[in-house]
Amino acid sequence: MKKRAITLFINGDEYNITVDADETLTQVIRNQLNLTDLKHCCGRGECGACTVQVEDDRYPTGKKIINSCLSLAAMMDGKRIYTVGGLEKGGTLHPVQEAFVEQGAVQCGFCSGGMIMKTVDILENNAKAGEAEIREGLEGNICRCTGYTKIVEAAKQAGKVMAAGK
Amino acid sequence: MSNSRILPEFELLAPKTMSEAVDMAARYGDRATVLAGGTDVIIMLEKNAVKPEYVIALGEIPDLDYITYSKADGLTIGALATAYQLVQDKKVKKKYPALWQAAASLGSPQIRNAATIVGNILRASPSGDCCCAMLALGGSVVLESTSGRREVSIDDFFIDYGKIERREDEIAVELKLPPVEDASTSAFLRMTRMTFDLSKVSAAVSLQMSGKKCKAVRMAMGAVAPTAIRIKKAETMLEGVTITEKLLSDVAATVSRQVKPIDDVRSTADYRREVSGVLAKRVIKAACNV
Repeated sequence: MKKRAITLFINGDEYNITVDADETLTQVIRNQLNLTDLKHCCGRGECGACTVQVEDDRYPTGKKIINSCLSLAAMMDGKRIYTVGGLEKGGTLHPVQEAFVEQGAVQCGFCSGGMIMKTVDILENNAKAGEAEIREGLEGNICRCTGYTKIVEAAKQAGKVMAAGK
Repeated sequence: MSNSRILPEFELLAPKTMSEAVDMAARYGDRATVLAGGTDVIIMLEKNAVKPEYVIALGEIPDLDYITYSKADGLTIGALATAYQLVQDKKVKKKYPALWQAAASLGSPQIRNAATIVGNILRASPSGDCCCAMLALGGSVVLESTSGRREVSIDDFFIDYGKIERREDEIAVELKLPPVEDASTSAFLRMTRMTFDLSKVSAAVSLQMSGKKCKAVRMAMGAVAPTAIRIKKAETMLEGVTITEKLLSDVAATVSRQVKPIDDVRSTADYRREVSGVLAKRVIKAACNV
């Protein structure tokens, strides 16, 4: 097939679309669905800017993170996918977003979407993750402004909020 | 619609069964590329390193992500089992620590959630961590075609840089690793500048011990030759004797002489040669817990 009709659920919204066989998930979400909170950066799974969560019942949280640049959209039929744009609920930021703002963990902002989704995933798995676990978890997400210290501080702050909320 | 092409144009084939998949592989041969987790193949497409007319994506074949262990048959890893799944598997961690450590060090969390162990073996990169570990543990790759299945020993699987013992009409369905004895132990170690990097040098060993005496051994090194390689000279030195500091120093010197590394972006040949021996010594110590 050159094209395929698929259904994607992005941040809970259903999209019935036709995609080219050779389009990546990042391309479809950005260019066809116009959800440009998701960034395309290295395109080779090295930088993590395109990180999304995908529902997968084999995982303890029911979700896994992947690089959307390394997924073919045509192979994602029926998948429930979450991007940074879906974290805010009714005008309230997610604790991780809140912490990134408060700690100044954003410089140019290009890595932030992926970095926040990665942090959400780390803390959903373990809100009490310590600094070592956070730093290890953040492997695969690159910030070229090199603001890692504040990102780690933000993750620790958000972890406290998320642990208290449970 | 998309205005910027990222991957070259191809036709996607999404078989629902392995028999459909091997039919496709038979029909299209070298005009097709097989895709599982995507963490190597999509990058190769993006770099135009491969330009297939067809991509055979295995992702919709059900029940191919198994990891099973039995005392009789050993470990079996299905074509769609990911590095994440392997790392979660307590039996693998206990019985095949070399492979477990290799899978745990593969890429980043996102990569481990998508990358398959079978794919890491088929990529046959000299720095492929699972290639090095599996070479030390022994086992085989099970290939399927329209004419049936065949098993290729991992010792015969890596032919040359990026070249493997797989015909174009074959699809790798699983890996088989032999059962491990109670006195068996293994380990994998690698050198990187930062943990997320590809290995500069890697080493893996599996040992069958009787007290301090080594009964049987397989030793492999990665990123020091066009493929991961076994260091048979080192194995001969270790087999049947008691492991001492002196012996390990001699093994280290032999390993450094046996490897044929190159200069590249991650390291120099000289450094790799020097470090190979050190890493070989360390991995034996790690496996023996001394």
